[in-house]
Amino acid sequence: MQELNHVGPSLCVKFHKEFVYAAYGPYLQQYNYKTSELLNQCLIFKENKVHGFDISADGKNVIAYGARSVSILSLESINTSKSLVDREQLVEEWVITGTFSKLGDKVFLLTCYNRVIICDLKCNVIGIKSVPEEKSILYSGSIEVLSEDRVYVNAGTVIGGVIVWDLFCESILHTLQGHEGSIFYVTSSDDGKYIASCSDDRSIILWDMETGEQLSTGWGHTARIWNLKFYDNNTQLISVSEDCTCRTWAIETLNSDEINLVQKNIYEVHQIKNVWGLDVCNSEMIAVTAGNDGRIKLVDLLQATRYGNENELFSLGDISSSANVEFSKDELIKGFEWFSFGAVVHTSSGQLVTYNRQSFSWSPIALSENMESYSISGGIQSKNTVVFSNNKNDIILIRFNSKGQLIKLAKHTLEYLAKVTNTMIKDIDDDTFLITLESPNPKDPFVCLIIQNDTYDVNAEHRFSKPSNFVSASLELYGNYLLVGARYSSLGIFDLDDNHRTPVVIRKISAGDTTTSVKFIEKQLNIPIFSITNRDGFYDFISINFDIITNDNKNFYDIIHQNKVAKGFLEGAYFNDKNEYIVYGFKSTLFYIFNETNSYELASQVCGGSHRQWKLCDDGLNKILLYNKGSNIYFRRISQNFTPEVLRNGLHGREIRDISILKEKTYKNGYLFCTASEDTTVRLSHFNNLNGTITNYWLERQHVSGLQRCKFINDEFMVTCSAREELFLWHINNESLDRAYIAVRQSLPTSTENPDLRIMDFDVKFLESKKDFILTSVYSDSVIKVWYYNFASNSFILLMEGKYQTCCIFNVSLEILNNKLLLIITPTDGHVIVYNITNCIPFEVVPGNDYLRDNKLEIVLSLLPNHDVKFPVHQSSIKTICTFVDKTDNSVTLYTGGDDNGLAIVKLNVENSTDKIVGKVVCFEKKAAASTITSVNLFNNNTKLLTASVDQIVRIWDVCGDKLVQEQRKYTTTADTGVADIVRLDNGSDIALIGGVGLSIWKL
Amino acid sequence: MGKRSKDKRDLYYRKAKEQGYRARSAFKLLQLNEQYHFLDDPNLKRVVDLCAAPGSWSQVLSRKLFVDNKSEDDSGKKIIAVDLQPMSPIDNVTCLQADITHPKTFNKILELFGNEKAQFVCSDGAPDVTGLHDLDEYVQQQLIMSALQLTTCILEKGGVFIAKIFRGRDIDLLYSQLGFLFKKIICAKPRSSRGTSLEAFIVCLDYCPPKDWVPKLDLNKSVTEFFEGCNIKEIHNNSIITKWYEEDRDIVDFMTCGSLDAYDSDATYHIDVKDELSNDLLNVSLNPVQMPTNPPYKRALELKRKGKLTRSI
Repeated sequence: MQELNHVGPSLCVKFHKEFVYAAYGPYLQQYNYKTSELLNQCLIFKENKVHGFDISADGKNVIAYGARSVSILSLESINTSKSLVDREQLVEEWVITGTFSKLGDKVFLLTCYNRVIICDLKCNVIGIKSVPEEKSILYSGSIEVLSEDRVYVNAGTVIGGVIVWDLFCESILHTLQGHEGSIFYVTSSDDGKYIASCSDDRSIILWDMETGEQLSTGWGHTARIWNLKFYDNNTQLISVSEDCTCRTWAIETLNSDEINLVQKNIYEVHQIKNVWGLDVCNSEMIAVTAGNDGRIKLVDLLQATRYGNENELFSLGDISSSANVEFSKDELIKGFEWFSFGAVVHTSSGQLVTYNRQSFSWSPIALSENMESYSISGGIQSKNTVVFSNNKNDIILIRFNSKGQLIKLAKHTLEYLAKVTNTMIKDIDDDTFLITLESPNPKDPFVCLIIQNDTYDVNAEHRFSKPSNFVSASLELYGNYLLVGARYSSLGIFDLDDNHRTPVVIRKISAGDTTTSVKFIEKQLNIPIFSITNRDGFYDFISINFDIITNDNKNFYDIIHQNKVAKGFLEGAYFNDKNEYIVYGFKSTLFYIFNETNSYELASQVCGGSHRQWKLCDDGLNKILLYNKGSNIYFRRISQNFTPEVLRNGLHGREIRDISILKEKTYKNGYLFCTASEDTTVRLSHFNNLNGTITNYWLERQHVSGLQRCKFINDEFMVTCSAREELFLWHINNESLDRAYIAVRQSLPTSTENPDLRIMDFDVKFLESKKDFILTSVYSDSVIKVWYYNFASNSFILLMEGKYQTCCIFNVSLEILNNKLLLIITPTDGHVIVYNITNCIPFEVVPGNDYLRDNKLEIVLSLLPNHDVKFPVHQSSIKTICTFVDKTDNSVTLYTGGDDNGLAIVKLNVENSTDKIVGKVVCFEKKAAASTITSVNLFNNNTKLLTASVDQIVRIWDVCGDKLVQEQRKYTTTADTGVADIVRLDNGSDIALIGGVGLSIWKL
Repeated sequence: MGKRSKDKRDLYYRKAKEQGYRARSAFKLLQLNEQYHFLDDPNLKRVVDLCAAPGSWSQVLSRKLFVDNKSEDDSGKKIIAVDLQPMSPIDNVTCLQADITHPKTFNKILELFGNEKAQFVCSDGAPDVTGLHDLDEYVQQQLIMSALQLTTCILEKGGVFIAKIFRGRDIDLLYSQLGFLFKKIICAKPRSSRGTSLEAFIVCLDYCPPKDWVPKLDLNKSVTEFFEGCNIKEIHNNSIITKWYEEDRDIVDFMTCGSLDAYDSDATYHIDVKDELSNDLLNVSLNPVQMPTNPPYKRALELKRKGKLTRSI
């Protein structure tokens, strides 16, 4: 068994020269942080995770520690070796922290019993230091080496606050009391002036190192804080927390004696939960954070100040004096556009001013028209054109030169419209662009003008009959088709080649509000795919076959992907150059840009919210956000990040509960796979089968409760289930190589409106059509249901229902044996129970085949029959099963793993004489693991069994002849090991994905 | 959401409320006793409950010793409950607010027992869980080792020790260590403990310390130093740091406690389920699961409620 790749918690990160070193599982990794390239990965410990490390001041040596392991290594060897495990040493107690002495010839190790072991670089113990009667267990601590003989220990205790003691005098300097609960981190400023600590109370306290006085308390984090660091010459503090954020705090001196910790910035850096590691590169002012989700994230601490021009603010007063124009007292900013020369701003009295980005000055634009009644409808950057409209059906087009001077103005009026309430602009090509105009009168046409750019003449005028209940909001042009996003999650399709053709409207694409953007993405077999965003936070990818488009049938389009952003409103989306989906919108007053593919925030700006005027424009390679508050206008430049945004992408913030590989089809030198997590999300990703590299595609948020299972049931469908009776049938589209798409096609009906049952497991058996299937679902209240899924009608129909007893059912399997359809369950009582449901379903078992036949029998609801056989196998819950049907001897072999550490082989047969189902345990290994067995997987033509268990040992058993012979065992760093899936490659080797808190990819 | 959906299935929580127990964990001790009957011995007189707060195990001990096993003369019976946190009083239980690692605590217990040793020691204590599985399991094992240190000083030969464990990656290490002090070690899982949780209980029967070993609590001694001479830990070396070696691990027998017809803590029960004890229909209304009364983050919660922690930058 060989590890190809691992994604999981990273506990410590540090900058050193142009590198970031990261403790990643049992490894130390070296990254070039300017390129995000992983330069080396060196195995440090056999089993333990590296919890922390320190690099000596001369950069020669590293002390790595984790749990009771410790290793002192040269940095050079870490940069160049693949494994240094033979250097691992064991300490008697858990090591909280380790540091080099000032001269770098000794190390200090603080253990969880508040003792410091001093040893040389070969780990020979020189001395042990402690303070009398203070051996209470520590959760945190730091050693501050001020000089060769001045060393202080900050010990973070469970109930006694922080004990600060002098290492060599072995005497207590301060006992810092002020926190509630366990101290989770404590650190000193390197000038010896301050101590900062955090605890279970979610506050940060700044202490005076000299006097032990409590200087200030910082509140802000909404969950536990795990790490702190002073930076920028000890004038700032940075913190990371269980609330997924990284926050910066200024140490502000108000008066000479009053010092305040003031929260300055918040960065959302990790998913769902804990952030453990933290460091700052002072020279570059960037931070690095490491989290439970396996992500290593870089944070630009000068994100809004690095270049000095990120934020510009002008009041109307500023503009008035710069442009030498008069504004009235109640004058407001009404609209704005951004061009290469700068901004165009339109005010409530109809004045127009331009901003020159080079000279930082404003100029008035003299106008022949009174523009008071107009508003800006939009602009075209490449054409330096702004379009204005008013409700009297007038349109004004204005062109500026590259200096921002007005060079052309044209006006058109569409008298046949009652009134124009909505105007939108879209660029077509070098010579033309288009304007759409909409009147609130339903009888008025929806108008599209094609404008000749050089003359501003109307080249063509298209009048379409306006669809009912249609209020336009966003625009895309695809060939001769105009795609108009509208309210109520609608999309209108207008054929510019045929004005008389009735526009087609796709309605209710997602449950929601206005369609805020439509964007062409790619073509699949000549059928275009569009990305559509909805203000409510949904986004969809929809394929539209324009050749068969009609209002009468819905087959011309297909929603191939659907998802919802974590929170907030969605205003638009695009793919970046790394093929990552970037979305933007608002979370109350905050504007955000978010990397949806890998789920992290790229930038944010408090700006008042979406109801204000705002505009996100391209500014060269960067973006610029224009917004106003009252009579002020703000320009916020959002630069391409100074460094890579991440050094490594993670997967899930919490435990992975199930993994399913789409085994039927290889995809780009590997396979697509899904992970279902306790964090309520499902991820669709890809792994490369040579090196195990993982590429994320989507993080699906349709489930609202922690996942139980996910499984690809064939090459195009997947099923997931969770609490709250959620079971979704997903359709996979893997026709494109840029990414796969996945969308919920149907959900299983629930038993009540407010369901609180957990669906623990499911299984399916296909009908001959290979599209229809029966599905059985088992529930936490002992209920068993069987459903028929009809592909054509896309519906689940209940076929059978019943209850086992009252205990929770963990697993279910449908098997065909001897022309009988068996439903096998394993509940928490440790039994295997088999029902013969052949005669309870309206489908026929076809002799010799593994599918059912639809003889068009009437579908009636039947009751779960009495079980045919029931027998005890495990003492308590059977956590996991896998099955194998042997047609040669007409048997089903069931492999079961239990909470009782046991592993069993169970055989089910049909007795020839009586035609009865009989079952028995043919092999039972009582101590197959030291803890709960959570996954059993057959491979190698059903001759080998892989087991995963909570003791973090993966075992391979030979199962030939119904015996269990353990052949191999290997420790996995993935804690709470709960699941595995295996795929056989064409070359005959097997790849296993092992999940828990993280994911490991192994070659078996 | 996940949390919310757990409440309703918690029949043990409901039963605990009905039967006057402070926490559902009372049923874990009751079910352990169903299997091993250590509390049914009429001669059981001196018991200690470590990490006792909020006190549901002490309640069980009190009912067992003074109600179920009531005899003519209960004067020799004594239950001592120790915790760092204050506990509200329980009938026939002497509450001791003390640190189990401190020698004074051990003296106080012996004093209360009139210099006789305890026959039964239990601990349902668990530390703050950080989410770092290896650390959480280690701290839990240290808590057990602390409890065990005290136990070795106060438990009579042949006595019983039970403690909560998490069955993680190093559990076999603990099994191996405890095997040096007790004749029989079992990992027991009561049905009232969720199958989806790593929690289980280590049942150590027949205390049998090495003959020439005298346990002595000393605040300045490490765990290893304490157990020196009883072959329990790091027998391979004398140094505080040593080259990595394979530690002794041992898998012990697993036993499920509580009968099969006991409630399943993983199941969802419908509100029309009848309670087999009272034969009453279980009440629909169920108070939300009790929140910690005085959590360390109380102030943070108050600030959050007042909207002081919302993101404004």
